[in-house]
Order: sequence, then structure tokens, then C-alpha cells
Amino acid sequence: MSTKITDIPSTLQQSDLNQLKPEKSDIGLTRPDHSKNVFIDWLTTVDHKKIGLMYGTLALFFLLVGGVEALVIRTQLAVPENNLVSAQMYNQLFTMHGTTMIFLAIMPLNAAFFNFLVPLQIGARDVAFPRINAFSLWSFVAGALVINFGWLLQALEAFGLFSASGPTAGMNDFVPAMGWFGYAPLTSKEFTGAGTDFWIMGLQILGVASISASFNFIVTIINMRAPGLKMMRLPVFTWMTLIVSLLIIFAFPAITIALAQLMFDRVFGTNFFSVAGGGQPILWQHLFWIFGHPEVYILVLPAMGIVSEVLPTFSKKPLFGYSIVVFSGAVIGFLGFAVWSHHMFTTGLGKIATAAFSLLTMAIAVPTGVKIFNWVGTLWGGRVRFQAPMIFALGFVWMFMMGGFSGIMHSSAPADAQQQDSYFVIAHFHYVAIGGILLAIISGIYYWLPKMIGKMWQGNLNLWVAVMTVVGLNITFFPMHFLGLLGMPRRYHTYLSGFGWETYNMVCTIGSYILGLGVALLVVDIILCFRSKKPAGNDPWDARTLEWATSSPPKVYNFAKTPIVNARDALWADKYGPESRKLGAMDEAHGIHMPSQSWMPLIASLGFIPLGLGLSLMQAGVPYAGYAAIFGLVTITFGISLWAIEGPGGYHLHPKEAVEEA
Amino acid sequence: MSDTAHTIDKAHLKAENEKYYAFVNLALILAAVTGVELVLVYLPFPSVLIFSILISLSLFKFVGVIAWFMHLIYDKILMTFAFGTGLSIAVGTYTALMFLMAGENVAPQEIPGR
Amino acid sequence: MSQEASHDDGHHNLMVNNKKLIMWLFLGSDCMFFGTLISTHLIYRKLYPNEFEPTQLFSLELTSFSTFILLMSSFLMALSVSAMHKGQMKSFRRNVVGVIFFGLIFLGCQVYEFTHFAHEGLLVSTGTFGSTFYLMTGTHGVHVAIGIFWLISMLFYSQSGKMEAHKNAIDVEVAGLYWHFVDIVWIVIFTVVYLIEFIA
Repeated sequence: MSTKITDIPSTLQQSDLNQLKPEKSDIGLTRPDHSKNVFIDWLTTVDHKKIGLMYGTLALFFLLVGGVEALVIRTQLAVPENNLVSAQMYNQLFTMHGTTMIFLAIMPLNAAFFNFLVPLQIGARDVAFPRINAFSLWSFVAGALVINFGWLLQALEAFGLFSASGPTAGMNDFVPAMGWFGYAPLTSKEFTGAGTDFWIMGLQILGVASISASFNFIVTIINMRAPGLKMMRLPVFTWMTLIVSLLIIFAFPAITIALAQLMFDRVFGTNFFSVAGGGQPILWQHLFWIFGHPEVYILVLPAMGIVSEVLPTFSKKPLFGYSIVVFSGAVIGFLGFAVWSHHMFTTGLGKIATAAFSLLTMAIAVPTGVKIFNWVGTLWGGRVRFQAPMIFALGFVWMFMMGGFSGIMHSSAPADAQQQDSYFVIAHFHYVAIGGILLAIISGIYYWLPKMIGKMWQGNLNLWVAVMTVVGLNITFFPMHFLGLLGMPRRYHTYLSGFGWETYNMVCTIGSYILGLGVALLVVDIILCFRSKKPAGNDPWDARTLEWATSSPPKVYNFAKTPIVNARDALWADKYGPESRKLGAMDEAHGIHMPSQSWMPLIASLGFIPLGLGLSLMQAGVPYAGYAAIFGLVTITFGISLWAIEGPGGYHLHPKEAVEEA
Repeated sequence: MSDTAHTIDKAHLKAENEKYYAFVNLALILAAVTGVELVLVYLPFPSVLIFSILISLSLFKFVGVIAWFMHLIYDKILMTFAFGTGLSIAVGTYTALMFLMAGENVAPQEIPGR
Repeated sequence: MSQEASHDDGHHNLMVNNKKLIMWLFLGSDCMFFGTLISTHLIYRKLYPNEFEPTQLFSLELTSFSTFILLMSSFLMALSVSAMHKGQMKSFRRNVVGVIFFGLIFLGCQVYEFTHFAHEGLLVSTGTFGSTFYLMTGTHGVHVAIGIFWLISMLFYSQSGKMEAHKNAIDVEVAGLYWHFVDIVWIVIFTVVYLIEFIA
């Protein structure tokens, strides 16, 4: 695939991006480079920073959607025998709350940080495959759309404008209603309607997005590091990105195939999980958790990476035990593949299997504990500054530890038998998910948003966000431990009074509104930051890693000159270290090569929308939906083929900084 | 575009030519092994023995294709790690799964096909 | 390492080509895909040994033949990668045509096998055996079909004269890796799905 490089003559070296004219691609179409139309620019972008920002914006939106779903759930449970939402709507709400938070909020929020930060932290121009990166983003959008499409049908159905016919005739659950882990045989055609199909197709597409993004990041981190940036000099966040990407590419295939088997069960009448034909519902549980347990670490390891960046910066100390923190992350990731059955202790695995999975689960506490001690060790004797990111990072360490403790309780199979499917489990994983992951992500937002948009936070709203979220999450989820031990099962639409659950439930609901207010304040604070007049400058926090060495927001080419790294905390060493450890710079007199923008990733991934919707609507008996699915497949093939033959293209930039010194 | 538009250095050419013989030999061996496998299943040996031989022959073909056709032995060790990680996780996970799903308690007698 | 496919400023720290690395990672991940499919088949086969008797249906001669065909296509693929590295475009084309031809024969055998089995009463809805067998071999068949599509487009691309040995050798090599992987998956399937059924 041939390449055309536009080398602008030296007389034109004014670093004025707009003086470059877009080239024609190998298929004769004009490349959408240097477009002044802001929509074309963002839709066709291959810039990891823009892609990261779009990931972040969409994920924040879905975080709010999932949050509202949670608030409705909590309101329904506030008093006994409440009837705010119907039982089926309640099922749909908790299913979509789980699915949204995991696949549409936390994973893409992590992806936003990966996208924006990894190339900056390793001193690269972009990721290894910029167009695949764009493809991942738009596939994520397509998947999110497919999975949430059921809401529209549900609304139409409520007004009597739509009803299912065909394979799922008579079913009126167009929003998935079988829980986020979709246990068989609830997912079979006899029990759930088209909602399950939307869920299957949506997750499948989101899987494509995650897997393709992960291949990209692994190659980027392994291959695109700045000179001198050895693996053991990588920032811990980048290390965690690498480990998480490896987890994704090895864990997602299990769910991809399980979903395909489920789809075949529903569409073509196979017997993978249908009991009547000999299928084993338990196999679904195994396949789901073979994916699902690594997924837990896929969610939490980036959070650990964020905290490992924030704590050293605000303690003015290097991370305590860098190599052991990295190694612990890798061990957590690897062990994550060997513990899936601890989600299934009550299914009767047999003594040996139960003991083995119990032991391995306990073993994971060791590397996690090692990390906690290393974070505390980082704080010890440091010059701690309680600025916004630090407050949340400290909250993470404490709250995540609480979630970890109840996790260790689950690892003991006899105890787990008591806690299975009770509110104790809900308390456990929400301490990890909100107290752990969400606090770390908020910390990351406070830490890196000035870098992303070039504006500095103003005011003290962050303190209120911190108080509201931490207090709110504790009021919401701490009582749930007691609720669970008192026997309240999860996923019940309502409950009778007289079990001693009323007070706890009311307290939980009040807490959830406090937490919700905290997240709303975060959004307000983010909007205020966007409107802030105060420039962030390159390095507002006196930070340690490479991303703070360039301007805020970074230029499209990231670094005018590729840095040469001579120390682990590259920028810190550059600012305060001896001469031998300062940053160097590559000679970039020949110009900076930039990848060309392209329509093809967008076109290819938009094909997923008719494909996913078509197959799902076919199940709901919508005529011609099957043709839409075929059209989708054709679009994907067409997009990818043109993508292959249009050639990567590219052009050269000559930024002033590089030219003047050259 | 002619075939020799770009000069390929001599050493490179020599290495490629040596690979050629490796490829031919491997192809012959693979074909022969497939033939042996076909005959083997009909031979009146103990089934455990045949089973083990079949598995090892399959493993041999598997490794042969990866190592030579896919250039793994000529390439950087990193590739072996990239592939090996996935392969070992897959083998480990699914071996464990097959043991977990083998128990009598998984499939009660009344299910068809027992 | 051979020449770079495209000019870029990436510093390839470990002297490994990006495209080759991503393909190997994909293949590692694909091991999990086929691991799931094959293990599902074996699990149900072991749970319900009497549900279905595949030896009546399987034709070991036909399957051995298609295995042989796929192995030989792999051999030709290795030759065409080698030819590309040597800059011998004609030899490359000849070999790729061979690969495509053999791949089509393999697919033809599979289509024949499927229609024959369906005719004999083994459908996707026939117990668990039909489900697992068709999804597993079908997924493999789709992999073969994608590979053929990929190679055909490469052939057309080389006919258009835009293909250059020093730039596109890596693309051919990556396609080759994919093709060989499809081959090794079949090696496993041939043994654990077909051959061991025939052990007396």
C-alpha cells in the first residue's frame, strides 16, 4: 500500500497547519485532512487526543445515564412494597445499570485516559495504528446505540405503537431484563424477548471495539516508546494500560464465542444452553466468568495506574517500590484468569475445584495488598499536598481497601455460600467500583483535565465533590453489608416489611442521592473548568512524567521534538535531577510525520449499527430487518476494503520550535 | 513493476533460499504425518496408545507450522511471547474447564443422550 | 527485519514491525476464540457420549484429503511470502493463486460435508453435537473464507501494479501468518474432533 508524503518546501516552514492542502488517497478520493469544517475534522480524526476526549465525553454521559438508573432502583427500594416501577421495569433497570456502568461508562472512561495519555507518556506522536483507534471509538458508539435502542421500542410499546411478533411474539421486554451477566436459561427465547438480542449484539460490537483498541495499545506501548524509555522506566499508568490490554485481548474472546453461541440458540435453534436439547446452562456461567473475572481487573487496574501516578506527584516522592508495583499488577492480571469459578461456588463445583479456586482467590489479595502498602509507603515521609487529585486518590486507597476486605471474605467458599446473591455482594463490588474505580477516575479527571484542555480548575467545588461522593457512597453501601447478612437478596423488585430491612434500605436510598449529587457537582465542576480563564501551563502540578513536558493542551504532534528519556520519572529528573538524567531531544529537522485522517473507520464501524439492530429487530418480527443486517455486513466489508486500499497517507509538519533550533 | 526493481541484498536472498528447503521438507513431512494418522486409527493397537500417538503427531504438526511456516524460529522472541501467552492461557483455561464440566453432577441421567 | 511498509516516525524499540506484532497478538487472542469453541464441543461430546454417533457420518478419507489440501496451501503460502521477500512478483502471484485454489477446494469440501450431514439428519438443532460441531467448523470455515477474500484482494492489488516488494512484503507476511493459523486450528480440529472418534 503505497504512501504519499507531502514534504512542504523549506520556504513554507511557517508551521501553519492550514497552509497544507489535503492529498488524494490511493483510491482517488480527497483525504479529509486539514478540514476547516469542525464536524468533518472530528468525525474523521485519527488524533489520539481527540479520540480520547470523545471517549471521555460519551462515557461521562453514560455514567450519568447509569447513575439515574441506579437512583430509580434505590427509590423503588426506599420503602417496603413500593410500586414506583413494575417488576419487569425494575429488572430492566438493574440490567441496564450494570451493563451501562461496566461497558459504557467505566471501560470507555479508562479508554479515554489510555487514548489521551499513553502516547504522551511514552513520547510518541500517536498510537501505532491511528485508524484502528478511530475504528474502536466509532464501534463503541455503534455498540452503545444498539444496546440502548430497546428504550425507544419500550417507549413505543408503552404508547401502543409497537409490539413484537415473529420469534419473540408476545414478549414486551425490549430493554434487556436478565441481569448484566445474562445467566442461561433466562436468556433463552422462552423467557426473554428482543431485549436479550439487543444486549447480545450490543456487547458483541463493544467487544470488537475493546479488542481492536487493545491490540493497538499493546503494539504502541511495546514499539513506539521514545528513545531511552525502557520498559522499566514506563510510567505505572502505561504499564497498567499494557496489562489491561493484554487482559482484554485474552478475556474477551470467551464472551464473544459465548454470545455467538447464545445468539445461535436464539436465532437458529441450537442447543448450547437450552436445557431441553441437552444444553448446560452452567456452561454459560463458566464462559461468562472466564471473561467476567478478568473483566473485573480490566476495570480496576487502570484505576490503580492512575493512583500510582497521582500519589507520587502530590507526595513529591518517587513511587515506593516501582518494580514490585508493576510486577504485582502483572500478577493480578495473570491470576485473574485462574479464579473465575469463585463467582460460582454455590453451583457445586466439587470439593477440589472449590478449594483450588478459593485458594487462588485468596492469593490475589497478596499482590493487591502489596500495592496498597506501596502506596502508603509512597506517602510516608513525603511532602503531601492535599490538592483535588490527591484527595480522591487517598479516598481510593481507603475505600478500595474496604471493598478488598469484603472480597477476601467472599473468597472463603463457606462464607460465600451465605453471601451469594445477597446485598453483601452488592456492597462489596460497589465499594470496589465506586470507592475504588470511580474515585480513581475522578482523581484522574482532576489531575489530567488541565492537560487535556489547557485550562486550570478554579474554586473549591472539588472539595464538595469529594465529601459528597465519599460520604454518599459510604452511606449507600455500608448498610448493604448488614442488609446482605440479614438475608436481603439482590435483584428483588420489592420486599415485605418486618425483616428489619426498612431502615437500612431508607438509609441506602438517602446515601445514593448524596452520591448522585456529588457526581452532579463533578459535572458542574468540569463545565466550570471548561469555562475557566486560567491557563493550566505545561506542568501545573509539578508532576513527574513525560506528558507534562509538552504544552497544555498538547499540539497535534504532541512533542515538537521527540524526547530522549534518561530516567524513570522523566520530567522530574529533568527538572531536579543531575545533568545526566535530563531529557534530551531528537533532531526533527526533516519534519514530523503525521497520519492522514480517514472516513473509512467511521464507515466500517457504522455498519455495525444496521447489523446489530437488524439481527435484533428480526427477532422482534420487524419485516426486512434481516436485509438491514446484510446491508450492515456489506458496509463493514466495504469500509474495511477501502480502508485497506486507500493507503495510510500522511503529511509532514514543521513546528516552529523544532525548526528554529534545528 | 518488474520483479527486480529493488535490489535485495545477497545475504537476505541466501537466507530465503535456505528457508525454501526447510519449507519443502516440512510440507513433505506434514503430508506423510497426515497419511500416518489416517492409517493409525484403524490399527488394532490399544486405544490409549493410539490416542497418545495421535495427540503427539498433531502437536508435532502444530509446532512445525508455527515454527517454520510462520517463521517463529527465525523471528524475534517477542512474537513467541505474544502468541505463547494467548496459547497457554487458552490451553490452561479450557483444560480446567473440561475437568470442571466433566463431573457426573453436571449432567443428570435423565437428560437425553446419556 | 525487512523494510518498513510505510514511512513513519515511530521508533520501533524492539525492532519488530507493528503489523507483524499486532497479527501475532491477534492470533494469540484467536487461540482463546477457538479454545472456547473446541472445548465446548469436547465437553458436550464427553457429557453425552451416546447422543450421536459421528463415525457413521464422518468420512475420514474426505477430511484427511481436505486436511492435506489445507497443509499444502500453507506450504504454498510460505513460498509466496518467501517469493515476496525475494522480490519475485511473478512467483508470488503463482503461489498465491495456488493458495486460493486450495483454499477454495477446502471450502468446497466443507460445503459438501455440511450439505451431506444435513441431508443425513445432522442439523444445527440436532442435540448438542450438531450445535457445537457446526458452530466450530463453521467459524473455522469463515476464517478460511476471510483468508481467501484477503488473498484475492492482494492478488488484484498486485495485478494493478501498485504492489512493491520492499513495501508490501510485510503485508503478505501478515496475511500468511493468518493463513497458517487457520491451518494449525484445523490440525487441532482434525485430530480432536475427527480422528479420535475413530479409535476403536
